[in-house]
Amino acid sequence: MRRGQRWIVLSALVASVIWATPAWLHAQDTPTRGGTLVVAISADPGHLNPAITTSGATHTAAELLYNGLLGRDERGDPIPDLAESWTIEQSGAVYRFRLRNDVSWHDGTRFTSTHVKFTFEEVLLKFHARTKASIGGALAGIDAPDDRTVVFRFKQPYAPLLMQLDATEAPIVAKHVYQGSDPQTNPANAQPIGTGPFRFTSYRKGAEIRLARNAAYFKKGLPYLDELVMRVIPDPGTQVLALENGEVDFLWGVPGPDQNRLKGDSRFRTAQTSYHPGGSNCIMTVSFNLERPILKDVRVRRAIAHALDRDAFLRQVLFSEGRVATAPISSELAWAHARGLNMPSFDRAEAERLLDTAGWKKERDTTRVARGVPGVPDGTRLAIDFLHFPAFSKYGELMRQQLGAVGIDVTPRPLEPAVFAPTVFKDRNFDTNVISYCNGPDPEIGVRRMYHSSQIGPVPFTNAAAYRNERVDTLFDLAGRTVERDKRTPIYRQIQEIVVQDLPYYWLVETPTTRAWSAKCGSFKAWTGLFAEAAFCNR
Amino acid sequence: MSGRYLLRRLAQVVPAVAATLITAFVVIHVAPGDPVLALAGQHGDAAYYALIRAKFGLDRPLPEQLLVYAANVVRGDLGVSYVHGRPVVSILLERLPATLILMTSALVASSIAGIALGVTAARRADRPTDLIVRIAALVGYATPSFWLAQIAALTLALGTGWFPVQGITDARHVSTGWRYAADVIHHLALPALVLAINELALTTRLVRTGVLQSLATDYIRTARAKGLPERAVVRHAFRNALLPVVTVIGGRVGMLFTGAVLVEAVFAWPGLGLLLLSSIQTRDVPVLLGVFLLVSLVVIVTNVVTDLAYAWLDPRIRYE
Amino acid sequence: MSRALRTPGGVLGFTLTLMFIGLALAAHVVAPADPFASVGSPLNPPSRAYTLGTDDLGRDVFSGIVHGTRTSLTVAFAVILIASIIGIAVGAVAGYRGGGVDDLLMRGTEAVQIVPRFFLAVIVIAMFGPGLDRVVFVLGVTSWPAIARVVRAETLSLARREFVDAAHAIGARTPRILLRHVLPNAVPTALVVISLNAASVILLEAGLGFIGLGDPRSISLGYLANNAQRFMRVAWWMTLFPGAAIALAVLGLNLVGDALSDLSNPRRPGRTA
Repeated sequence: MRRGQRWIVLSALVASVIWATPAWLHAQDTPTRGGTLVVAISADPGHLNPAITTSGATHTAAELLYNGLLGRDERGDPIPDLAESWTIEQSGAVYRFRLRNDVSWHDGTRFTSTHVKFTFEEVLLKFHARTKASIGGALAGIDAPDDRTVVFRFKQPYAPLLMQLDATEAPIVAKHVYQGSDPQTNPANAQPIGTGPFRFTSYRKGAEIRLARNAAYFKKGLPYLDELVMRVIPDPGTQVLALENGEVDFLWGVPGPDQNRLKGDSRFRTAQTSYHPGGSNCIMTVSFNLERPILKDVRVRRAIAHALDRDAFLRQVLFSEGRVATAPISSELAWAHARGLNMPSFDRAEAERLLDTAGWKKERDTTRVARGVPGVPDGTRLAIDFLHFPAFSKYGELMRQQLGAVGIDVTPRPLEPAVFAPTVFKDRNFDTNVISYCNGPDPEIGVRRMYHSSQIGPVPFTNAAAYRNERVDTLFDLAGRTVERDKRTPIYRQIQEIVVQDLPYYWLVETPTTRAWSAKCGSFKAWTGLFAEAAFCNR
Repeated sequence: MSGRYLLRRLAQVVPAVAATLITAFVVIHVAPGDPVLALAGQHGDAAYYALIRAKFGLDRPLPEQLLVYAANVVRGDLGVSYVHGRPVVSILLERLPATLILMTSALVASSIAGIALGVTAARRADRPTDLIVRIAALVGYATPSFWLAQIAALTLALGTGWFPVQGITDARHVSTGWRYAADVIHHLALPALVLAINELALTTRLVRTGVLQSLATDYIRTARAKGLPERAVVRHAFRNALLPVVTVIGGRVGMLFTGAVLVEAVFAWPGLGLLLLSSIQTRDVPVLLGVFLLVSLVVIVTNVVTDLAYAWLDPRIRYE
Repeated sequence: MSRALRTPGGVLGFTLTLMFIGLALAAHVVAPADPFASVGSPLNPPSRAYTLGTDDLGRDVFSGIVHGTRTSLTVAFAVILIASIIGIAVGAVAGYRGGGVDDLLMRGTEAVQIVPRFFLAVIVIAMFGPGLDRVVFVLGVTSWPAIARVVRAETLSLARREFVDAAHAIGARTPRILLRHVLPNAVPTALVVISLNAASVILLEAGLGFIGLGDPRSISLGYLANNAQRFMRVAWWMTLFPGAAIALAVLGLNLVGDALSDLSNPRRPGRTA
């Protein structure tokens, strides 16, 4: 073939390949600059400072305005963000970060290490619940020896630090904006200055937040989008309608009944993830109040576990989006999740047998009564209450159905979040409850607080069961001090084996969410709060 | 109208306002838990709690507290929302316009439609048309408004693509001036339609009854006997029939506020309804109380205005 | 009242209302199964096995509606009971005593009438927690003004003192007079108010459920309608039937109210010529 002809054939081949490839593939390969992305959010954030709160609403809306020292990749592992490199010294008691020097705040001020030191000392460690609870107790001090270096010094080796430095757990705010003021009331919370890929334009309370592209973003070329609008749409059905109607391009969560339809619709793309700005890697967990005589016997707790058909929960409450929990630690934390544990299986006969053995007899009534149960007068009915957020009322209904079948009378008690927390943690006025315990990016952050005896107290969403086990305490302390992951895995395995035996809680289902977006847009990072950093839309 | 009537009518406002204040006050104090926590949230610090205690006089005897509360409210101080960190009044005033736009359009639409339907039903009283019109209007009222809203969103918005399902403006294109007004009207159409349909039945029924009643009066019988053309007769009856529509606007406003909450929830219309929803979730009691007081106030004011309008329209009252 | 039945609207209204009341009273007979129990696989469309289909937890929608009607009508009835007791007391005293007492009570009545029921219910439930008893209390305590007015009007019309004096003369006591003569006359007009009130109570309860303030421990029509919202596009039977039930119940009650009120308003155009 002559040279010219070869080129023609080649071009023809290439052209036909391009022509034959579906359009959506094009959309994902070649980012287009410009355009507006409209995102639906479920609640008005109130303010736009994610460093003073762990509220999902604020973080969902505001994280794109900021950065953390580190970011997250798809697997949840740390990648550079504001820090370009780091070293771990003294077996994890010292972390040294080298910061980028090309970062500036939205108002032009240069970003330096003093901002990091200020954010941690004056903001995060005072107001951010998770960071305060974990790093706060362990930190000895933070130094900023020069503009590009930050050093974290801990009293003992501190394992989870690298997992807690993204925009969700530790967003960095501007010292020159917040210094000398109360971070909770500073007006900058409504007109934020950050370092992130988008800058603040306007915030119409209760309606929408408008962000614009940060042309001076330190990641060259990003972001692609010109504008990003967050619309407050509380009704999940309306969110889906808005997506289908083209008014909205991105949803943070697709309601169960609509998932199959959206997944099968070629106009949209979906992605399932356990990450959420308000809390990641969450497991719906039933807590047993171990201080109540009825629940003191582990056989009763085990019977309850055997009586629960968790697959039914998965199907009927989550519409099969998620998994049955096979260990106390979420499977998303793959290195810490214990496989092959002896979790109670769904076995009504075994549940009834255990209850009989524990002294709860079936007599004339459908509900069992106590005959010879230590600490419980004879004739007491096996009746327990079940506290839950109103949003989780389905769990209450299923509990009532399934436990009723083995002779346990369950009374679901819906409580608004503001009342639930003090009732459970301050007054401890409950038999059982269900809580979405989010493990977070590291077990030290979200798991320890459930089992460590030091975490029994009025602070919400800590050790609801009031579980005390010295061995488990010691193991957690050890795991928190051990930096190497492969050494932490066996420690967490031992913890999980013990708590599965003791059953202070029962772990029902893991709850990922499904993001959905218009197929005209792409390149979203569902695993981080900076989800639209590299996103683009082809219209 | 006479000054005496005016003064008397205005004086009647006092017990109404007192009733709402007392109700709100009683609820705060009878509810379980410390009133300070309700008013200041669970996460305040001691200094803030002390501030709230002083402001509302929570350590003083109850009757005194009521007076303090009443004085505060009358001065326009409804407290501070600890969730928003701003005075309640400013939050309410921010969200009120959107809801007022929604309610006013619905009120106008349902009034026009209600009058038309009511007259139709009255003129064909007891014949099939009458029953059909009445039942259709009643079905609109009987269907829960959130249900109707979802159906409307599904069929009229998604189905036809003519209307948007959410918000008050287009998110992608920010417009100003006339375009902005057109954008708002475009977004207003469905929520106002649903709210109007829901509220229609009352007006239809009132107009129908009013027209029938006035058609039966001696005045009309005489006019007919005198041989006045039917059209003139109807016109006279019509004018009298409108009176109840005006007087009942106060009650309708209360109903519209309730309907607006549900419609705003479905259509994400950023008004008092959405504020109420989010305040329920966060247990923002100052805002909840503020909405309650504001709605009561609007109803009271509407009642006064319409009573005065009624007096102006109906000559029988004018010369009291 | 039988005259009201002659109009087609009245017939329809009474039929619907009686049907629902009957359903509520006979709930355990018509649908004996526990409406909370899961009887089949979730989200089954209407079929021979499940007349109106199953919901997302596999519960029978028909059972839910029957028991839901019972609950909703019980709530409405309880509200009316409370409102009637207060309303009769206030109206009778105001009408009988007259003068300053009447003025005071009427000012009070107007004041209570202003209070927006829905928003008060929202606050009360937000602060006291969800529960149908809260709803009943709030609505009962704010719905009496209309009844009070009716009773007062009747009592006033009986202001023929001679009649009362005569009754007194033969030893009858005031409450007895009121009970035996005033109230029975007030019933027809009061029924109008009552039927309209019952209808709005059902709608209010449904509305509260929609914004998350319903009582999830009891199945009411409002709970069913609210629960079904999410499934509107995948299981139309879940929303249609409870929504229709609410609409028909409210429609029936309103038509009855209309028919009764038409009765007391003389209007017969065309008959005069």
